Amino acid sequence: MLSYKFDWSIILTGQYHDWLVSGLKVTLQLSVAGIILSFLLGLVVAVMRMSHLKVFRWSACVFLEFTRNTPLLVQIFFWYFGSYKLLPTVVNEWLNSTSFEFAAGLIALTIYTSAFIAEDIRSGVLSIPKEQMEAAQSSGFSYLRAMQFIILPQAVRITVPPLVNQFLNLAKNSSLAMTIGVMELTYQARQVESYTFKGFEAFTAATLVYLAISIIITFLVDQYNERVLKLHKAA
Amino acid sequence: MKKLVALFMMAAVVAVAAKSFAAAPADTLAEVKKKGVLVAGVKDSLPPFGYIDEKTRTIIGYDIDFINAIAKKLGVKVELKPVTSASRMPQLQEGNIDIIAATMTKNPERAKQIDFSHTYFFTGQKFITKKGSMKALKDLEGKKIGTAKGSTSEQNVKKALPTATVLSFDDYPQAFLALQQGKVQAVTTDEAILAGILAKSPEKGKYEIPNVQLSDEPYGLGMRKGDKNFVDFVNKTILEMEKSGEAQKIFDKWFGPKTDFHLLRSFKITADK
Repeated sequence: MLSYKFDWSIILTGQYHDWLVSGLKVTLQLSVAGIILSFLLGLVVAVMRMSHLKVFRWSACVFLEFTRNTPLLVQIFFWYFGSYKLLPTVVNEWLNSTSFEFAAGLIALTIYTSAFIAEDIRSGVLSIPKEQMEAAQSSGFSYLRAMQFIILPQAVRITVPPLVNQFLNLAKNSSLAMTIGVMELTYQARQVESYTFKGFEAFTAATLVYLAISIIITFLVDQYNERVLKLHKAA
Repeated sequence: MKKLVALFMMAAVVAVAAKSFAAAPADTLAEVKKKGVLVAGVKDSLPPFGYIDEKTRTIIGYDIDFINAIAKKLGVKVELKPVTSASRMPQLQEGNIDIIAATMTKNPERAKQIDFSHTYFFTGQKFITKKGSMKALKDLEGKKIGTAKGSTSEQNVKKALPTATVLSFDDYPQAFLALQQGKVQAVTTDEAILAGILAKSPEKGKYEIPNVQLSDEPYGLGMRKGDKNFVDFVNKTILEMEKSGEAQKIFDKWFGPKTDFHLLRSFKITADK
């Protein structure tokens, strides 16, 4: 009864192909910006979480628990619709005149992922024997300097494999931004489906592209491990 | 290489699963009678076509009354399944539902995939905006306009206003929230749906539906392609409803002078040419 005829030409050329390509661009922008920003924010939060100052430690804890324990979709809606009530009218008007959908999606993705990254980095730091910090400090390093030059460079190495997971998650989670009208890859695939009813073709293309993005991220991090960190030489 | 093989195996599984969707019956009329229940895909957040009644917690509305009438004629029970604009056609084709009654505009592209009944509701695509912000279509050039994914409204507005940015949300309540927050300058869809959104809004006075119409929107009930017995039965039923005055009664119940909509019935259900 399902008389479905595959027609791959619609996604290889023409208007629908262009839509998917423009969606891919937005997905890449979201992913690349999200990966960089969430890594930086994750580093800051991790350092705060391990700080000796109670204020930092507690605020990092609150941030982590909130962001790790609420669904990403809810957070996206919070930044897009919920922020309206918290901000003054002038700011809202300015935001609405920009492409705030993209920004709200990026903020939500960055904050959500940074919490997981922070915990991964913290676990990496905790795996470095605490005598190294004591030795560093007794040699005259401040806490931050010891972190910067001694602890973090080692911890980041240990953290690389779980970090890759977080980056992959971020790239795939970026598809949720379509719920607030960000025209990324999944959004465009759905557009193609509703215009042409060729859902199988459009989503197959989208699936392959996500797969390619994930493989590229994994490959780049592997290269970084090998070339920069000189890891995996034995393997 | 092993990974690649695994990937192909996964693809094969997906392909086989896709094939098994073919379970959709060829003669829905006979099938529905046999199982004693008519499964209809309806909207559940779109007053007054299909929405959840606050008291009874069941889905009610204009679309649902038509389904009830058809099921009554068939002598079967009704099962309502909520669908979205984007999900309704795949759900029908995969056999999860027997009929679509979800504010669905009849158009030639869709008619290639499914069969439509005669037009059971007629409306036109308009806009809802903050009062006084729109007089003519050109007032929206270069602006942001909200609508729902997978709807004809989205496709029409892109054609009519190529310079505007169209933001598509999952459904109309979110699009209207974006209008309230100034994130879009207008929300566009069929007038009857806009009237429903406006009627439910707590700040009715702030918004209006300017007299700018983009297109005609005839609604049809959707059935599987080539399901002739069922299509004929549904068409016969709704023509009888028109003749007996039941169709007019249903219209008045949901859109007439006693409701918040005050719409006049400008159409009659007739056989399509």
